[in-house]
Amino acid sequence: MRHIPRALTALALATTLLAASACGGDSGGGSSSADGGKVTLRFTWWGSDTRTKLTQQVIDAYQKDHPNVTIKGEFGEWSGYWDKLATTVAANDAPDIIQMDEKYLREYADRGALQDLKKAEGLDTGKFEPDTLGAGEFDGGLYGLNAGINSFAVVVNPAAFKTAGVAVPDDTTWTWDDFSRIAAEITTKTGGKITGAGALGTNEAGLNLWARQNGESLWTKDGKVGVSPEKTTDFFKYILKLRDAKAIPSAEAISQDMNASLDQSAFATGKLAMSFIWSNQLVAFSKATGQQLKLLRIPSADGKAADNGSYYKGSMFWSISARSKHQKEAAEFVNYLANSTAAGDVLLAERGVPPNTEVRAAVTPKLQPADAASAKFIQDISKDLGDPSPAPPVGGGQVEKIIQRYTTEVLFGRQAPDAAAKAFLDEVNGELK
Amino acid sequence: MSALGELGSLRGKKPAGQKKDNLAGYLFLAPWLLGLFLITIGPMVASLYLSFTDYNLIQAPQWIGLENFTRMLSDERLHNSLRVTFTYVFVSVPLQLAIALLLAVVLDRGVRGMAFYRSVFYLPSLLGSSVAIAILWRQVFGTTGLLNQVLDVFGIEGKGWISDPSTALGTLVVLNVWTFGSPMVIFLAGLRQIPTMYYEAASVDGAGVLRRFFSITLPLLTPILFFNLVLQIIHAFQSFTQAFVVSGGSGGPSDSTMFFTLYLYDRGFGNFDMGYASAMAWFLLVIIGVFTAANFFASKYWVFYDD
Repeated sequence: MRHIPRALTALALATTLLAASACGGDSGGGSSSADGGKVTLRFTWWGSDTRTKLTQQVIDAYQKDHPNVTIKGEFGEWSGYWDKLATTVAANDAPDIIQMDEKYLREYADRGALQDLKKAEGLDTGKFEPDTLGAGEFDGGLYGLNAGINSFAVVVNPAAFKTAGVAVPDDTTWTWDDFSRIAAEITTKTGGKITGAGALGTNEAGLNLWARQNGESLWTKDGKVGVSPEKTTDFFKYILKLRDAKAIPSAEAISQDMNASLDQSAFATGKLAMSFIWSNQLVAFSKATGQQLKLLRIPSADGKAADNGSYYKGSMFWSISARSKHQKEAAEFVNYLANSTAAGDVLLAERGVPPNTEVRAAVTPKLQPADAASAKFIQDISKDLGDPSPAPPVGGGQVEKIIQRYTTEVLFGRQAPDAAAKAFLDEVNGELK
Repeated sequence: MSALGELGSLRGKKPAGQKKDNLAGYLFLAPWLLGLFLITIGPMVASLYLSFTDYNLIQAPQWIGLENFTRMLSDERLHNSLRVTFTYVFVSVPLQLAIALLLAVVLDRGVRGMAFYRSVFYLPSLLGSSVAIAILWRQVFGTTGLLNQVLDVFGIEGKGWISDPSTALGTLVVLNVWTFGSPMVIFLAGLRQIPTMYYEAASVDGAGVLRRFFSITLPLLTPILFFNLVLQIIHAFQSFTQAFVVSGGSGGPSDSTMFFTLYLYDRGFGNFDMGYASAMAWFLLVIIGVFTAANFFASKYWVFYDD
């Protein structure tokens, strides 16, 4: 009796203690392989089921034309995507072609993980709308090729408005007060079955727009935080106002929704009449809800759409790993994605409106209702756009998680708006490198 | 020749095939030995080195001395993660062991179909730290989850247990307590070792159930209790999967389920701060070491060895 437990204890101790600090093994292995002229490329993206199906179709078509190239798709939800990418890059096992976001572009490029696409053989950017290349360009190189243009917007489920007996507002003149009032009205009139709107502050774009409407911006051109504690406080106060008016769901429901996939989010499952989305997500949300949805401009402070701070964003970028062993083949595939009408015909505007003007012209007549609506929205707001929004500096990729946390703090009443604003800005500043 | 004499001559003689036997022994050990060096000791040494560097996963590490460790002193989120982890360990481990002990005692009394119950109760231990169960947990404690549906039957209005910062950690504590099966099985084995004559003698002297439990079972079981305690504390300090999956990797809502290990992961892979994350890993090793040492020290005063 005496000896067994002691021996067991010692053994268990030895193994568990050892395991404590050795976190994560090395997966090793090469990134891609070539034999007999055959090349295997790995291609990773995040997105909904809709995107995955469309992208796979393009891959299949490309493989048919290029029998020597095999493309292995690796895809997942946004929330897990970046952890996975970071681990594979660290393990020297990065995919050859990477769907990249503005938030992480500098993070990877500044550390030499991405290839300068200006030097890539077989990749042509001649037909791109000139403004659309800028966001992926810095330090004289092009590290991400714009994969589509989008803009932050309010998505509306007209069926929910109808159920509530509320008219869809005129988005060229509506203010934040209108937004709050209309959303609250929907919640009241449906007896809480449908909530008026999703919360602001579940990503940083809302705060950026809010800042831009007040003459500031989330990031400055020289890579600093550009929003003041006062405006951030106002932003959090407004979210509280929405909560108190029951214009948005309960704090618990919002916090739960922050981790939900697009297909399972509150708006996609018909629980909300309005929500804040990126315009290209209209396609996926339309599929998920089975409804004809509508995009509205973001409300403004003064009722003038031109003052609402909207801007064109590269919805996502194509990047090539600097360590890819098949630079040429990877570049050719990215070229196909970006410049061929064959790919455009399948992808349409699901990743945003094609930045290649020729592809855009060719696919416009073929757009499905949702793609067409999002393309038209991008066209419509072109005359009301503000200045381009500076890209986040290195370390800025964390801002989404940080604002989610402080929005939760505020919604649960655990922190006052001014305290949350100060803590938020301190933390974001602390992350910048 | 007597048996003793034979043993003596065996001891004195060096068997010819010993070298060969040793080689075979090492060969049999090789898979484990290789694993130990390649995936445990190697990375540990590497992480010790990295803990003194600024390493962003992509570029080569830069030596910065003790900076990572001094940074921990002023890192509020790290302090919060320590609070969360300690709460989790010191609430869930005692609860888990109490339930395991209770059930072991009940099962040990010769319940019919004990093998069946033992398996059923053990099952959660096998599943407890798996991703599937963590996902299930999200469903059970979600706004429209099973728990709320049950509460609804009784007319109680539920809430989003996992999405409320004040209850999210509680759901993880419940999950850990639920995996009481492995300490329970060890308790059962321990109970089997207690000679029945003690109980018989106590019964003759008129001792009741409670008296027998506190005067015979518990003292004789303290070595097992100690073993379980040490093991479960270490285990709880290292919990990761449950919090990661239940919170969707964020440690949220509001960092309320941000375990130390989860924050370590967030720094390393979310923020590309692998040097700092390595320093945190070694800090955790020290914490666990200190608690284990304290446990061993305290054991002198309450663990009773029956021989």
